[in-house]
Amino acid sequence: MRFSEGIRLALQQIRAQKLKSFFSIVGVIIGITFLIAVITIVEGMNTYVREDFAGSLFGVNTFTVVRRSQIETGRADAARRRRQARNPDLTMRDVEIVRAAAPGARHFAWAADRGMPDVRHGSQSRRNVRVIGGSTEYEAIQGWKVAEGRGLTPVDGQQALPVAVIGSQIAEKLFPTTSALDKPIRVGGQRFRVVGVFEKQGGLLGNVRDASILIPFSTFDRRISTRREEIDEIHVKVNASADMEHTIAAVEGALRRDRRLRPGQEDNFHIQTSGDLLNAWETINRILFVALPALVGISLVVGGIVIMNIMLLSVTDRTREIGLRKSLGAKRRDILFQFLTEASTLSIVGAILGIGAGVGLARLVSRFSPLPSTVSLPWLVAALVLGLGVGILSGLYPAYRASKLDPIEALRFE
Amino acid sequence: MTQRPTGDAIIVTRGLKKDYVMGAETVHALDGVDVEIQRNEYVAIMGPSGSGKSTLMNMIGCLDTPTAGEYILNGQPVQNLDDDELARIRNREIGFVFQTFNLLPRATALHNVELPLIYAGTPSKERRAKASAALERVQLADRMDHKPNELSGGQRQRVAIARALVNDPSIVLADEPTGNLDSATSAEIMGVFDQLQDAGQTIIMVTHEYDIAAHAQRVITLVDGKVSSHDAQIPTERFAAPVTG
Repeated sequence: MRFSEGIRLALQQIRAQKLKSFFSIVGVIIGITFLIAVITIVEGMNTYVREDFAGSLFGVNTFTVVRRSQIETGRADAARRRRQARNPDLTMRDVEIVRAAAPGARHFAWAADRGMPDVRHGSQSRRNVRVIGGSTEYEAIQGWKVAEGRGLTPVDGQQALPVAVIGSQIAEKLFPTTSALDKPIRVGGQRFRVVGVFEKQGGLLGNVRDASILIPFSTFDRRISTRREEIDEIHVKVNASADMEHTIAAVEGALRRDRRLRPGQEDNFHIQTSGDLLNAWETINRILFVALPALVGISLVVGGIVIMNIMLLSVTDRTREIGLRKSLGAKRRDILFQFLTEASTLSIVGAILGIGAGVGLARLVSRFSPLPSTVSLPWLVAALVLGLGVGILSGLYPAYRASKLDPIEALRFE
Repeated sequence: MTQRPTGDAIIVTRGLKKDYVMGAETVHALDGVDVEIQRNEYVAIMGPSGSGKSTLMNMIGCLDTPTAGEYILNGQPVQNLDDDELARIRNREIGFVFQTFNLLPRATALHNVELPLIYAGTPSKERRAKASAALERVQLADRMDHKPNELSGGQRQRVAIARALVNDPSIVLADEPTGNLDSATSAEIMGVFDQLQDAGQTIIMVTHEYDIAAHAQRVITLVDGKVSSHDAQIPTERFAAPVTG
């Protein structure tokens, strides 16, 4: 019997019993949906992290000195996290040491930030904003561009003026119809004058910029900070990626000397690069790619067992048909092939529905959340192959049973 | 109507035996059957229940193999063939007609008739042409796209006959073909068989009804797994109590 004939027969069988067929492939649909949805989002994240996120959060050729690492994954890091909790705060003294250790830096900036419950203008308000006190070159080092008005100037810093450059989300919320420029806003009981609005960043971590308010570091230190000279980050941008390694080494050495750390003693500060983030992401990725097959595997095994049971029932239901086909000249392998094709067609239909649902789900998620999605062709093919595999495996035993039926007894079966 | 075996035998069995082991007992369903059926003969097989006529039919239809003895179908010994070879013989040499029609309920008449051709590996165009021709032979050209539940009992059995004919078999093997039909429809179906025989088709029919057997040229009667008569007399008047089997 030819292949196309087998598939035609299988589809006819599925059409004839739509509901039963649907229920028999629900397991496969769910498994594949889950696989494709997660893969689509993970691949989207991958693309995003590699192409946009790392660069836009940290800037290219940039490293940051912080009190302790902000990106940690895995249990192995727990002990280190505890040790780092005892690291001393960064101070202006550290700023000067880093500056002196990186004389060739293109940009140099330090900043402190604090989450505030809201920002107001008249009766309008926006909850949860981050106020960043940045030194003059902060915008440049982060690559933040101003869409309207101006950025911070050295004069703003020197005179500790109450001026602010606000993120696009804040501008949209507080000034839905008018320009934000020169308008007063209140943050934490302090009045600031808006001098600029940042370009919209959007995307997964758009809040970093879009929900932030940048004010001069000196103003932050005086009006927002709870502690004098609170510094959270010291940023250094070098001229070329070739300069990264030795500049980081110089900064690390200078800080260690100043803090009188003995050789072999762990740094009591942390130097963060975009590579850290990528490493962290790789770790998450690895976990996902280990956990995912297990989860998908379970639902596919369940799906396969369901299909096998339905096929076994189908073989019993159609005993007379099998007897008839044999009496008309169907060989064992014809019957085997017929039922294998039927099981495979069922589960491939399940896989196709699952792919559709999975991509749809991922698209829906990325529409209503900042999570990106990228449809990956190799994974779609993998899902189809998986579907086919489940079908063949779960169809094998029922098909074998069918092929072994004795034609005389099968024809007599009531 | 007496036709003794001559040279052109399409079925020859010699000492055909079939034993079934049931627990400690061995049942001799066939106990040395010698029959010869000529090409273009129309033979009825009769016998009481348990006489072995179903077993003989399964044997002749290559659905089963004998415990001992020889069976030569169309010049080819088939008693020692394996499952797949028997399937091939059934496909090429035998056209089955069943009491319960055995049509695929969801398939059209045309597709039901195409079924043996699918297993013969006939290309789809040729398949369609042959199946249409077979349906025309049984006057169902206008019902090709109907499904079995849209057809009357007589029409269903005619579809089954078309299916039996479609691969040009050496023999048409009918098992109580009118058992599920009323007398008028039975007459109609027997008319179809008569026409086939006129056209040269060899027909073997298992039945317990004498008026059905009367259509045949010859009646082979089985009793206790043995042939009791190769050419039984068919009573002209109808019997009151038909023998079941």
